[in-house]
Amino acid sequence: MPAYEFPGGIYPPERKERSNQAPLRTAPLPSEVTLPLSQHTGKAALPCVNVGDAVKTGTLVARRDGMVSANVHASISGTVIEITDRAIIIQGDGEDRWTTLPPLDWRTAERDALLERLDDSGLIGLGGAGFPTYIKAQVNEHHAIDTLVVNAAECEPYITADDLTLRHYASDVLEGAQLLARLCGAAHIIVGIEDNKPEAIQALQALLTVSADSEPLASMTLKIIGTRYPSGGERQLIKKLLNREVPSGGLPADIGVLCHNPGTLLAALHAVRDGQPLVARVVTLTGDAITQPGNYWVRVGTSVDTLLEHVGVARERLHQVVVGGPMMGTPLTSLEASVTKTTNCLIAATKEELPPAPAEAPCIRCGACESVCPAQLLPQQLHWYARAENDAALEAHHLFDCIECGACSYVCPSAIPLVQDYRSSKQRIRHKRIETAKAEHAKHRFEFRQARLAREEAEKKARRQARLAQQQSASSDATGTQTAPVADLRSLRIAQTAAKAAVRKAEKVLARAAAQDPQQRHDDLETQLATAQENLKAAEARLTEARAASEQKEAP
Amino acid sequence: MSMMHAPQLGKAPSTAHVMRWVIAATLPGLAVMTLYFGLGVLSNVLIAALWAVAAEALILRLRHRPVWPTLNDSSALLTGVLLGASLPPASPWWLMGVGVIAAVVVAKQLYGGLGHNPFNPAMVGYALLLVSFPTHMTLWALPQPLWPESLWPQILGTVPVSALDALSGATPLDAFKHKGDAVLASEFWASSPLPEGTLSAWRNIALAWLAGGVVLIAKRLISWHIPVAMLGSMMLFSALFYASDTSHFASPLFHLLTGATLFGAFFIATDPVSAATSRQGKLLYGAGIGVLVILIRNLGGYPDAIAFAVLLMNLCVPLLDMVSVPRPVGQATARPDERKSAP
Ligand code: SF4
Ligand code: SF4
Repeated sequence: MPAYEFPGGIYPPERKERSNQAPLRTAPLPSEVTLPLSQHTGKAALPCVNVGDAVKTGTLVARRDGMVSANVHASISGTVIEITDRAIIIQGDGEDRWTTLPPLDWRTAERDALLERLDDSGLIGLGGAGFPTYIKAQVNEHHAIDTLVVNAAECEPYITADDLTLRHYASDVLEGAQLLARLCGAAHIIVGIEDNKPEAIQALQALLTVSADSEPLASMTLKIIGTRYPSGGERQLIKKLLNREVPSGGLPADIGVLCHNPGTLLAALHAVRDGQPLVARVVTLTGDAITQPGNYWVRVGTSVDTLLEHVGVARERLHQVVVGGPMMGTPLTSLEASVTKTTNCLIAATKEELPPAPAEAPCIRCGACESVCPAQLLPQQLHWYARAENDAALEAHHLFDCIECGACSYVCPSAIPLVQDYRSSKQRIRHKRIETAKAEHAKHRFEFRQARLAREEAEKKARRQARLAQQQSASSDATGTQTAPVADLRSLRIAQTAAKAAVRKAEKVLARAAAQDPQQRHDDLETQLATAQENLKAAEARLTEARAASEQKEAP
Repeated sequence: MSMMHAPQLGKAPSTAHVMRWVIAATLPGLAVMTLYFGLGVLSNVLIAALWAVAAEALILRLRHRPVWPTLNDSSALLTGVLLGASLPPASPWWLMGVGVIAAVVVAKQLYGGLGHNPFNPAMVGYALLLVSFPTHMTLWALPQPLWPESLWPQILGTVPVSALDALSGATPLDAFKHKGDAVLASEFWASSPLPEGTLSAWRNIALAWLAGGVVLIAKRLISWHIPVAMLGSMMLFSALFYASDTSHFASPLFHLLTGATLFGAFFIATDPVSAATSRQGKLLYGAGIGVLVILIRNLGGYPDAIAFAVLLMNLCVPLLDMVSVPRPVGQATARPDERKSAP
């Protein structure tokens, strides 16, 4: 197959050998877990247990709130000891008693049942952004998807979680890919992997040659690509594998592609085949301050401190702990933090390993940043405008096309923290947009109230009408002489269909907005969706009322 | 716990590192030049470098800016070295002073310091001297022994202006330029217009600059775009002139190997601060310099023209930066999007 290229890119030291030597191990069961309510994009989940409740591993403890949100499950068995507005804390009993959902066969189960399972299991993308999987799996309702890309590039230095996942569970990952391909209607699966993971590649190759004659639902191809950062960026990988460009401000779905990382696919299979909700994930524990680096199955909610203790951390040499990779990750401000569904890597680095950045010097416009930018932006100009807070120029120079990969910062001879500038500029601009959206939001809230009142009114009427109908059919001797105004059934049905369409449209808009910009809050869109739902319910109530009335009329 | 700034995985070369490497890359050129034109070349560079550091330190003091971190970036030092290398051997110390102050103080620091200067500082100094002290600026030409007779008096500036003419000869570019319209190129060369060995001296110096430049590109300390575009357009454009009238215009090779062409292409035009910034912009910028150099050399009043061409293109940089925005991946066009900038 021909190799395509994305522009730019860098070759940072890989430092993967620190964690890819040992086999995948299981971290000890934590005695206590802190489960954040917001481990995903969208709204935080709502607790559905009380302090003192006994839970098993896999018990639902917080329910998703709104469409873009995800369930949270207990990751150990024990007792709920504290519920704050940010997290649920469970004290373990050390027994790890499970509760699982009934197993499903993804080949034969109803599509809706599968989607519901992904939703119930609290599944989100484990690659980092944390987008709810069940929404992504439904995207083909609005877009034709032809290809599912398994993003196994894992291009960030240090991280080897996907590598080890593939080495140990290659067939499960591919089965998970088939499952999601079925849901989104993709006929092809392409696994994209960097050439620095020979063992994972071997495992995949062995499987793909075998399964060639067992006729899987979707055809599968393995594509080995050169090691270069950031080839694991969704847009970059799609360009490299398929030579398609995701439009600016758009999604891979716009060009018929969905991307999932191996961890997500494995978790999807576990949820469907084994009925296991998402309560554990593979985490790379690495860095010079750790004596037993490697990859571990870790229960969600395990405290970072406990985990580091287990793998042996030299505290006196520990300089910082980075969550995620060294390029895009963020340093932890406190070891109290816990592992979440999106924690793919923890780097306990020494000062020599990830030294503090040297003092920033003025930009000399050398263009080094530009030549490595995979989005083909002009980081040097963006820097200039970001410092000047010239938002119009920033947007005109496509600030929002920046994928925050950090390649520009990495090569800048003046040690300018370019990505930080862009992040804060984006935040500032988003904030401005939110301010203007607030007025809009107030308006929608008002509309929502109106819709709710209308629904309640309609439902009341429907009930009254139904009662009336019952009474009348009871006294069947009554003649049909009365002239009760019977609403036109046909127009009500049309209204109901329109309301249904409005709900679907609102869902689509919200899902799309959330996928494009996971960092932003979408209260306004959520309200709009709720309004549409109210309207639908009102329309349905009116329809029932009318039906009852017409039956009553025809009954005699 | 400390916050991670930028990913500091592999050490990206620092700005100071880049500047020092560029200074190091001037050594072959300076060495060969010294060989042909005497120790006056080195004295120029040293005195200019001293002036540059002193001037930068002073102005930083006056601007209440931290002195040491800025001096440490070596950019002033580089400006001094480049200006010193551009001047005729053994130029008087005060000439260097005037040039360097114009370069470092006026052209760079008064615009806000490194990164903010719209014009190439060394060339601002050079142009100023060329316009203000034409006699001193034409003291080139005669290849000299390593220790020329009047080295000290020249450096100290005690040679009377009337005696300067006796010391100087014409550079090859200068001589060719002033051969007169009636003289054909073939006649000109037949009359052996330059002292023995002058042409080969200029050629060898040019090749030494080329060597330094190649090192810089190989080490990725400068990008190839500007030198390649500049030399390419010079060759093409001078070939057009040459083809139209071989008896009055010099050949592309003559343009390439005499004068400051290669020095300018690798060490002057590539100053990142005052050049266009995008890759596409750099190609246009370099090509523009090449065209201007040939235009001025062939039709204008100055024989070498690198300085003026560079300064003229510096003027065009804002325009070039505007028209050379690359098309971002996934965008239909490169045009900055007007719709998006509406609130
Ligand atoms: S790499 Fe740094 S110094 Fe060079 S142009 Fe970009 S921001 Fe400026
Ligand atoms: S962080 Fe943004 S501007 Fe910098 S290289 Fe990556 S995409 Fe380009």
